[in-house]
Amino acid sequence: MTATLLDGAAIARQVYAQLKQRIHLLHSRGVQPGLAAILVGENSASRIYLKNKAQACHDIGVHSEILRFAADCTEDQVFATLQNLNADPRIHGILVQLPLPSHLNSGRILQAIAPAKDVDGFNWVNLGAMVAGHTLLAPCTPLGVMTMLDYARVPIEGRSAVVVGRSAIVGKPLALMLIARGATVSVCSSKTADLRQYTSMADILVVAVGNPGLVDGSMIKPGAVVIDVGINRLPGGKLVGDVDFASASRVASRITPVPGGVGRMTVAMLLENTVTAAERSVGMD
Amino acid sequence: MTAKIIDGNAVARHVRSEWKKRVDVLKAHGITPGLAVVIVGNNPASRLYVRNKVKACAEVGLHSETHEFPADTDEAPIIQRIAELNRNPAIHGILVQLPLPPQLETRHLLGAIAIDKDVDGFHLYNVGGLVVGENNIFPPCTPYGVQCLLEYEHIPIEGQNVVVVGASNIVGKPMALMLMAKDATVSICHIKTRDLAQYTILADILIVAAGCPGLITAPMVKRGAAVIDVGINRLPDGRLAGDVDFDSVKEKASYITPVPGGVGPMTVTMLICNTVAAAERYAAKNAEKIPASA
Repeated sequence: MTATLLDGAAIARQVYAQLKQRIHLLHSRGVQPGLAAILVGENSASRIYLKNKAQACHDIGVHSEILRFAADCTEDQVFATLQNLNADPRIHGILVQLPLPSHLNSGRILQAIAPAKDVDGFNWVNLGAMVAGHTLLAPCTPLGVMTMLDYARVPIEGRSAVVVGRSAIVGKPLALMLIARGATVSVCSSKTADLRQYTSMADILVVAVGNPGLVDGSMIKPGAVVIDVGINRLPGGKLVGDVDFASASRVASRITPVPGGVGRMTVAMLLENTVTAAERSVGMD
Repeated sequence: MTAKIIDGNAVARHVRSEWKKRVDVLKAHGITPGLAVVIVGNNPASRLYVRNKVKACAEVGLHSETHEFPADTDEAPIIQRIAELNRNPAIHGILVQLPLPPQLETRHLLGAIAIDKDVDGFHLYNVGGLVVGENNIFPPCTPYGVQCLLEYEHIPIEGQNVVVVGASNIVGKPMALMLMAKDATVSICHIKTRDLAQYTILADILIVAAGCPGLITAPMVKRGAAVIDVGINRLPDGRLAGDVDFDSVKEKASYITPVPGGVGPMTVTMLICNTVAAAERYAAKNAEKIPASA
């Protein structure tokens, strides 16, 4: 068997096309969706990420603004700005670009974003709502994984899903989203005694660890759908995921490439969350 | 092999006596931990639960008070009462007894409780803390009680295969998150699971909270597993039974909880623990205002 590629770029294009229609409807109601991003310091990777997000906003008709703070700013300065943004009717989504300088408590700062505008989905109220089964705004990467599964019409209910990696921004929220859709979910980590025992049961296998080649074809159930969230740069400069693509693609029915898979979905989901938040702000959801 | 039967009543007594010492320390500093219970309507089961909570508070030396409302009360007066309790320095824990009458939105009332007094751990902020793996929150009482039983019996969790059967918002999902934070590999099964035995047979620790008597039988259990039965079902003949076929599974498991007398007594105990912890946090935050004594 040779797996079909789950093409993140192509799915993201479809997501953007749908979003444009929703934004058009919002414009016709006099609402311009708005995203505000907070950037602290001069981290060059962060600047590139934010530039990409701003460009994507521009391309589909979402207002965006970046609020810059010096690397040595105080938490109170950030809080004050967040309070203004929380109250600003032109802004429907707020994100704080991570990582923050070490003197700032990112946990506390993320909690200061109003849950209804928390388009990264990191606020505890939004994470808690996922456990309670009424997700409001979900973190972008797991939301992107779910969107890919849905675009590819992968059945979820009653299927065995295995999530390798149990971070608070990918693994655990994704597990909750899969449970909400009726999958039986196992969450593995570096402490799992026999990873193969789990991965070989999975109809849907999602790997989000940051460990190149952790999962190879021999660990995968024939016909499984394999989603690789990992992005690792090898010493030679090449980007690879956590799954050994060459062997896995011979066993899986569908598989995401790295790059060009899940990574392409994350920004699209940020914009989707922003549009959703804008729709809710005027009762259009 | 016959399993060790985990005596939830004995563990609960032990835990309460340990926490009573912490209550005594607080009292020496002029703070009596206080729990307020809001109850709406006349559901007899709810009234029984509330009586048990009040009794447990008295045993461990906590102040408790119940705030009763008629079954047809609107949201506003209850929210107002919760707001008063949020401000009341003598109250460190607040809970709203569930279920609520249909005209009331559970989420609104639970969301009105101050997060630092949310001793049932149902406020979304506290629930979200479980996802992040934050320690400084109030874990929901039933999964917290299960974790306490495992730790009391020195049953290892890290690296173990855990299977949770039942994906409820107040037991299954929080339980899974708490055990992930303890480095277990956790599978969550539920009504949509196609081959339950395929999962349960993997479990070093099997936690069943499905509300389905006799769901788990001996062939589904790995030899030597620890089996925790959260189910409480009333059988047609009036007996109480869990979700696990106790008689057959106890011959295969290494540990097993009975029903009744297993997880049940722990739930109220953990409510007491959360309330005392809330009072300790209050004391730490207000240390300068509280006269040192003893």
